[in-house]
Amino acid sequence: MATVNSRRVGDGGGAGGTFQPYLDSLRQELQQRDPTLLSVVLAVAVVLLTLVFWKFIWSRKRSQRAVLLVGLCDSGKTLLFVRLLTGHYRDTQTSITDSSAVYRVNNNRGNSLTLIDLPGHESLRLQFLERFKCSARAFVFVVDSASFQREVKDVAEFLYQVLIDSMGLKNTPSFLIACNKQDIAMAKSAKLIQQQLEKELNTLRVTRSAAPSTLDSSSTVPAHLGKKGKEFEFSQLPLKVEFLECSAKGGRGDAGSADIQNLEKWLAKIA
Amino acid sequence: MLDFFTIFSKGGLVLWCFQGVSDSCTGPVNALIRSVLLQERGGNNSFTHEALTLKYKLDNQFELVFVVGFQKILSLTYVDKLIDDVHRLFRDKYRTEIQQQSALSLLNGTFDFQNDFLRLLREAEESSKIRAPTTMKKFEDSEKAKKPVRSMIETRGEKPKEKAKSSKKKGAKKEVRFLLTGSDGPVATSKAAPAEKSSLPVGPENGELSKEELIRRKREEFIQKHGRGMDKSSKSMKSDVPKEKGKKAPRVWELGGCANKEVLDYSTPTTNGTPEAAVSEDINLIRGTGPGGQLQDLDCSSSDDEGAAPNSAKPSATKSTLGGMFGMLKGLVGSKSLSREDMESVLDKMRDHLIAKNVAADIAVQLCESVANKLEGKVMGTFSTVTSTVKQALQESLVQILQPQRRVDMLRDIMDAQRRQRPYVVTFCGVNGVGKSTNLAKISFWLLENGFSVLIAACDTFRAGAVEQLRTHTRRLSALHPPEKHGGRTMVQLFEKGYGKDAAGIAMEAIAFARNQGFDVVLVDTAGRMQDNAPLMTALAKLITVNTPDLVLFVGEALVGNEAVDQLVKFNRALADHSMAQTPRLIDGIVLTKFDTIDDKVGAAISMTYITSKPIVFVGTGQTYCDLRSLNAKAVVAALMKA
Repeated sequence: MATVNSRRVGDGGGAGGTFQPYLDSLRQELQQRDPTLLSVVLAVAVVLLTLVFWKFIWSRKRSQRAVLLVGLCDSGKTLLFVRLLTGHYRDTQTSITDSSAVYRVNNNRGNSLTLIDLPGHESLRLQFLERFKCSARAFVFVVDSASFQREVKDVAEFLYQVLIDSMGLKNTPSFLIACNKQDIAMAKSAKLIQQQLEKELNTLRVTRSAAPSTLDSSSTVPAHLGKKGKEFEFSQLPLKVEFLECSAKGGRGDAGSADIQNLEKWLAKIA
Repeated sequence: MLDFFTIFSKGGLVLWCFQGVSDSCTGPVNALIRSVLLQERGGNNSFTHEALTLKYKLDNQFELVFVVGFQKILSLTYVDKLIDDVHRLFRDKYRTEIQQQSALSLLNGTFDFQNDFLRLLREAEESSKIRAPTTMKKFEDSEKAKKPVRSMIETRGEKPKEKAKSSKKKGAKKEVRFLLTGSDGPVATSKAAPAEKSSLPVGPENGELSKEELIRRKREEFIQKHGRGMDKSSKSMKSDVPKEKGKKAPRVWELGGCANKEVLDYSTPTTNGTPEAAVSEDINLIRGTGPGGQLQDLDCSSSDDEGAAPNSAKPSATKSTLGGMFGMLKGLVGSKSLSREDMESVLDKMRDHLIAKNVAADIAVQLCESVANKLEGKVMGTFSTVTSTVKQALQESLVQILQPQRRVDMLRDIMDAQRRQRPYVVTFCGVNGVGKSTNLAKISFWLLENGFSVLIAACDTFRAGAVEQLRTHTRRLSALHPPEKHGGRTMVQLFEKGYGKDAAGIAMEAIAFARNQGFDVVLVDTAGRMQDNAPLMTALAKLITVNTPDLVLFVGEALVGNEAVDQLVKFNRALADHSMAQTPRLIDGIVLTKFDTIDDKVGAAISMTYITSKPIVFVGTGQTYCDLRSLNAKAVVAALMKA
């Protein structure tokens, strides 16, 4: 009843008088102690507010604060994860699922990152990479420096995959290649590993782009790494790729601490 | 007795370890993880690795794995129970540490489980020893002692039935039937004396008495022994009594028919040639309604079936919807952990769905078992139903199966071989008619496009027209890639020695020829052979052993169903058996052909990769040279899970 009156009045009035009838109706409703219209409006407003709030928080949560530890099987990712978080040594087995934990960076701002340790087994690695790559702020690719010579093709293939995936992300994450297991005498240096990987990726980008297309031809041709025509170098990539050496096991095995200061410094830098 | 016992999280952290021997336990456990858990063979819970048997148990709620290892030659019975007890105790004791999402709690917690474990182990070992060896029964306890001796003595001319009946009677006064003369019988009645003389006069006397006693005896014996109803005893008495008459009446079989001449004569009383009398049945019934001359279209009256089934399902459905609704609510809101019964129906449906999509039957069964094992006890998240959880897990495991090992990157390996100045040899094997020669031509076209020179070795010396087929392909490929385009170098050539020769010899000569002429790749085409044909399988194994190709590709068609399992197993076995080397050359990759003939029944891909755990290198989708694809695991799994 009240609304009908207000509508008639609203039609007759001008722009300035449009609010007046609504206020009148509100006042009437409040007086009547039967605030149906008011409660409906209030409820809609509350719902809208919660939606906005939720979306805000949701987008905040999905913002990239994760550092992914990737690499081949047995390269030392889980032990590195443990060392970064606690500093102790633990026995590890082949991971079947991911593990994640919040890591307090030791810089003066005291930021925190989420460290995520992904399994390295061939059947699992791509699935988990798919799942977590959207929230990745940085990738730490762990390489077993001692058995690198034997596994160079596998390392290069996985590295190629990770590089292609990370180049397809919205923001370019930082990239670190950690040459682990430096405590073993036969370990290769970071420089040598870099050279070998560049050579291997040079040939790999040609062969991978020449492979037969996949079954559903909707998939696009993979992006080309680096510049065509020139030998591949990591500096040609739009991402920043760094190399460093570390040893998760440390010089003295279980007793001593790990040699991961470089890694911690790098993490502090990107946080 | 145990070699080791470890508890570790699925993320890779070892929480607690007990080592009975000094060897480290990481090696066997890693082998267990890689071959069983990651390849979805988690149906049964034991695994053998070298000299050890490993038994494991998954805790899916807290993401833990319990593994125990002991020597294969021992057969310990308490291991299963021990694992269950340890699991329960560990879970209850450290519930707070293992419950949290972050790995920090696992890292920071100390798991001092040694004493509890040793206690449980001791209990388990003792319980397995508790059963004392059974002592032998003394003679007095046995049944034989309870029987009187006279019942065990056989006499001639007596009906054995009667004797048996009388022997069961305990403590009854019986006549002693002696055949022995001059022996002191243990118990003698008044009738014993005349019985000693001869057996013949005994007969009629006994016969008289037994006829009266028979019924009484039988009644008592049945009440004693069986305690069944009276009708059974009376029935048996009735059936026995006519028999006891001394003459065996012929048994009457109800359905046996009789050999009576009149009854068996079915001939109608008519002479030959005259038509039968008019049938009294309704002509219309025989003919039916409807137009006689024209053929009508098939009328799919599926409404009847639909009407019938829901009627029967409705009463049960109404009963189950109420329970289902509450269960669904509980599942939606709370944290419900999955049990086998919940998953049973969903898994059955999924198994049937997979089989309908052409996955081999036992592989589908094993897959569903493994998924059930992985999901048992897992806590479902909010807003997820049992069906969605199971489907998700199945999808993940299918993708996992399709990406088994390092990808076979042929071009990369050919470049390596080029550098070492020797040809890269690929052998194609498979059963008859799967498309080996066609796909060989497709692959050589692809290699030519990438700038490698190819030598095709025609080692199919059996099938008529095999060499001509390859010659035609070579001619076409040369036309597409003539020597002028590649600096005067012949890019593709056929190496053949006609029909009827030894295939292994031809392959060896082809490889030598390629090395001399500087060809990059040698593609060896072999004859199709059935996996059961032992001499042909030996010949194939010999070809592969002698020539040591770089890549052995098994060509299988996507239409094959359960047969794929048999083919691959037997091919691998033949290759392994006839190889002299320590590590035999097995199938390295699979080429899946005729993929365009199946719409979404792509289950053959799963069967093949599951059996061999080798990747699918190429997929053939047609008969022209461009119809060569590589496998996209996600697309295949999506097609497989599509309803």
